[in-house]
Amino acid sequence: MNFELDEIVIEERCRQSALAARVISRAPAAVPVNFIADARDAIRRTASAADPFGAGKRRMAVMHRRAPFLMACPAGSSEFACCGYLVLVLASNCPMDCSYCFLQEYLADNPGVQVYANYADAFDELERARRRTPGRALRVGTGELADSLAFDRMTGISRDLVEFCAPRDRLLLELKTKTDEIDDLLTVDSRGRTLVSWTLSPPHVFLSSEKGTASPAARLAAASRVLEAGYKVGFHLDPVIAYPGAERDYLALLDDLFDTISPARIAFISLGGLRMTPALRSAARRRHPHDPLLCGEEVLAPDGRYRTFTPLRAALLRSLERRIAAASPAVMRYLCMEPPSIHRRVLGQTPPPAAALGRALAER
Amino acid sequence: MSDEHIAKSVRAWAEPRHLDRAHLERWLALDAYSAAAILDAAARLRLRVGQLQGALEMLEEIALVDKTQVSAVLARAPLKRILEGIGPAPARARAFVDELRAMRFPRLGRVLEQMKAEVAALKLPRTVAVALPKDLGSDELRIEIRVRSSTDFRDSLRALEEKADAVERILDLLGGGN
Repeated sequence: MNFELDEIVIEERCRQSALAARVISRAPAAVPVNFIADARDAIRRTASAADPFGAGKRRMAVMHRRAPFLMACPAGSSEFACCGYLVLVLASNCPMDCSYCFLQEYLADNPGVQVYANYADAFDELERARRRTPGRALRVGTGELADSLAFDRMTGISRDLVEFCAPRDRLLLELKTKTDEIDDLLTVDSRGRTLVSWTLSPPHVFLSSEKGTASPAARLAAASRVLEAGYKVGFHLDPVIAYPGAERDYLALLDDLFDTISPARIAFISLGGLRMTPALRSAARRRHPHDPLLCGEEVLAPDGRYRTFTPLRAALLRSLERRIAAASPAVMRYLCMEPPSIHRRVLGQTPPPAAALGRALAER
Repeated sequence: MSDEHIAKSVRAWAEPRHLDRAHLERWLALDAYSAAAILDAAARLRLRVGQLQGALEMLEEIALVDKTQVSAVLARAPLKRILEGIGPAPARARAFVDELRAMRFPRLGRVLEQMKAEVAALKLPRTVAVALPKDLGSDELRIEIRVRSSTDFRDSLRALEEKADAVERILDLLGGGN
């Protein structure tokens, strides 16, 4: 994918790293590369910029990660029916600019793109996590604070990660993306231990709210290719945005999906309604003032987030769930960041404990 | 009226009322017709600052979704009727904000009206109150029984039991059932 950078900064201690060498060799010639003692200053928001978050996306820092790489999903909460997802933070922020993206709030203070030269330390953490949980399958993803594949053409990290996970049982790596940057993956044998997942939205949402991403058709085509190369695939219909005509469009999207990929070959599909904290909503509206999809019939829900009012949201999610179930009851469906009562209304059952759901997803 | 005159008039309205800078800037960023139309509405209805803030936000959002200008939204019949109507300004101001809300949340408005009608149709005794979640933001129905005697208590339970099917229907509607 093409994205524009104003500058690449490399932390001095990472100057000799393999990642720095890769990034420098693959960066466009016009992008200045500077070396800096501590890149944490470079990733902070530039208060004087008209759009500090947007400016941050155009500045990449190759740096040493000082915190653990492996963490629980930041969306996890006892309020919701959770899937037990573990997050591997190999990068932070994203060159694409979806108007509803939670990173606009989560990374508001440190919006500079971060890629970590010491990412091999993440593999040690993963190995320790595996040894601490004998007999338990783990599902770990790199697509929570960044798009898993958006920077891959420059960093090549995903290839290393797939190769690390390939011989290790009880470990499912999930690469979540809105791109079609899969070429590197096609040259690696994942041995079925990597799943590539795509967020899917109807064309109306893609055009209005998903700037810089691959089109829905391109995402499906990429999914088809990785499937043939031995990877597993999954899909996230998240956020589901309840604009007038949404049900028709999302059902058509599912039809396109099942026409492209046999439901029997899909590991899981997750569903989640649009949800935004007041701060995120404010930031999103300020940065994307012309996106009408940010002005839907969202109201303040008990969890303090703006969500589509409940009857409309539940009806829409249920309609999508029924279409998926009709295509193949074997496709695993789950909800993201929805309360247990919505889980019961949409999926017709009490949500399982996060550990159980996490295990089931990891074993797909 | 020139753009400069309109801006001056907007500031003249905003400053003594301590309208916050963010809303003032949004108002001034509108096209001149729209800024003037809001000023006119504020004057006719004697809008309070809070009402103007809410109205401005809703007007902008309605205009964005409907791909039109704020001035065109304000020219719509239901709002025009209120603006040009007679009667105490505070009541008209409330009606104005309510109408804007109905335009901003059309589907929510329809579903809420339907559900309120279903609750009213329960005709439960005064000892039993049924409350829908605010703005249908959750699927929780709150049922409150207030009694001071065992007779009232048993009567309340009996009334609820008789209406159990209807209450279940409301619960179903809350969850998006038809």
